[in-house]
Amino acid sequence: MRRLAPWLCAFVALFAAGTMAEHAWRGVRPHIPEIGRKELEPTLGQGVLLGILGGLRTVVADLTWIRSYVLWERRDRAGCEALMRAACALDPHSRYFWENTGYAVGFDLAHWEIRRRGGYAKVPAETQERLFHAYARRGIEILEEGRRHAKTTTPLLLCAAQLAEIKLKDHRLAASYYQTAAEAPDAPWYAARICAQTLWEDGRREEAYRWLRQYWLTRMLPKEDGFPDDLQRLRTMEQVLGVKPELRIPRQAWER
Amino acid sequence: MQASFQRVSWIARVTFLEAVRQRFFAFLLILGAAMALSSVSFRVLDFGHGELKFIADFGFGGMFLFGSVLAVVMTAQLFFSEMDNKTALTLLAKPLGRGEFLLGKFAGAWAVLGVFVAVLSVLLGVVLWAREQELLLLAEQSGKVPPTFSASGLAQFALLQWLRLGVVASIVLAISAVARTFLYAVVVGALAVVAGQLQWIAQDAILKPSESPAYEAVLWLTSRLLPNLQQFNIGDALVLSTAGVESGAVLAVALAGAAYMAAYVFLGALLFKRREI
Repeated sequence: MRRLAPWLCAFVALFAAGTMAEHAWRGVRPHIPEIGRKELEPTLGQGVLLGILGGLRTVVADLTWIRSYVLWERRDRAGCEALMRAACALDPHSRYFWENTGYAVGFDLAHWEIRRRGGYAKVPAETQERLFHAYARRGIEILEEGRRHAKTTTPLLLCAAQLAEIKLKDHRLAASYYQTAAEAPDAPWYAARICAQTLWEDGRREEAYRWLRQYWLTRMLPKEDGFPDDLQRLRTMEQVLGVKPELRIPRQAWER
Repeated sequence: MQASFQRVSWIARVTFLEAVRQRFFAFLLILGAAMALSSVSFRVLDFGHGELKFIADFGFGGMFLFGSVLAVVMTAQLFFSEMDNKTALTLLAKPLGRGEFLLGKFAGAWAVLGVFVAVLSVLLGVVLWAREQELLLLAEQSGKVPPTFSASGLAQFALLQWLRLGVVASIVLAISAVARTFLYAVVVGALAVVAGQLQWIAQDAILKPSESPAYEAVLWLTSRLLPNLQQFNIGDALVLSTAGVESGAVLAVALAGAAYMAAYVFLGALLFKRREI
């Protein structure tokens, strides 16, 4: 028993260290970007492992992205998507990777698949439409995932809105994305205008007018130039909707 | 006790001097330093990350990659040079315990790793500071929020990296204590580093429910015997994040690292006692 005691002590020390490490891991886990086996497996043997092992994550993510472009040039759907997803997983805070992966999957992959099946003339229109829808949905899913991880999310919302509008032809969904993007503090100047336009085209004309009017009054009017083009658009809406003169936006001093 | 400490520190000093005179150490130090200094030139490869993040990541990568190579190869080499030259026999014929010998070897190797981490951290800090000043000027002109880095966060990260390399060195010494050849110790040591970096997969899997008790037992065992080296990689949060990391979490990681080092050195000493020289 005395001979075994030191060995027992060594293993108890290891188990104690392991328990302490488990406790420590729970504390630091939220600070380490998540990467699971799902993202790892398709990219093993392609240098991605190095990025998971240590501090080179950003650099390996960049190199993975460059290699995904090579596959993009070759129109390799599976390889391109796997590497793009790997770049996203390696550096999930980067908006750039999520945005471009969403664009590539949502816009490009369906075209590659149609060409692989024989081209636009050979593949029936309904199959093409189904493919466009399926890939657009996948693109939106990627962008939604990106919204949970990336530090800047407004460009992802705009990309999702474009996919919903152009590929899914879902104006309601597109308008909701545009609206969320327009209401973000870092919204680009065109987001509100496109949001109103999408709502208008979706048949929700009253809602489009009310929303853009409110947006213009609170977020655009206080700005230096007062966004005259958007006011012009609001005037057109008032005219089309037949809004009574006394209920219209008061005439601005600088208005033409 | 004091005599034992003196013997250990004597072995450590000799080991340290032997290691810093090696060309291998100088070579890896130069490579690591070149990586940290050249990060600014490589930022053209960057895709929309924060510039400081890219530079910091380059430096962290150098520290991880070359530090791991140094910890594995140099520790094994320092141990096997004593065995192959038979100097260990001469040393152990004197009133010096095998445990003291191994502890001295570990302390010497760890001190060299400390020099490596300190030099790279200072260089990285200088590069980050210089670029931060340039970005501050640019941000003032464009009216944007400038990116910043935390020097104290970098110091904490350097300390964690030193501990991580210490854990690696202690594992390699424990392996060397039973290994017959230098090559075997290096290969198994390198595999242990890879396994340690991926150990968190086992740790995360434990938290998910499983139907197989045997699978759970294996996961539980491996997650305790193998150190989780990934938990030392919190450089981004420590150096670049404005929120930082709670000091309690950093302390817990440091304590776990120290506990692993002590446990592996103790295990190595036990194994070395049974070894025929």
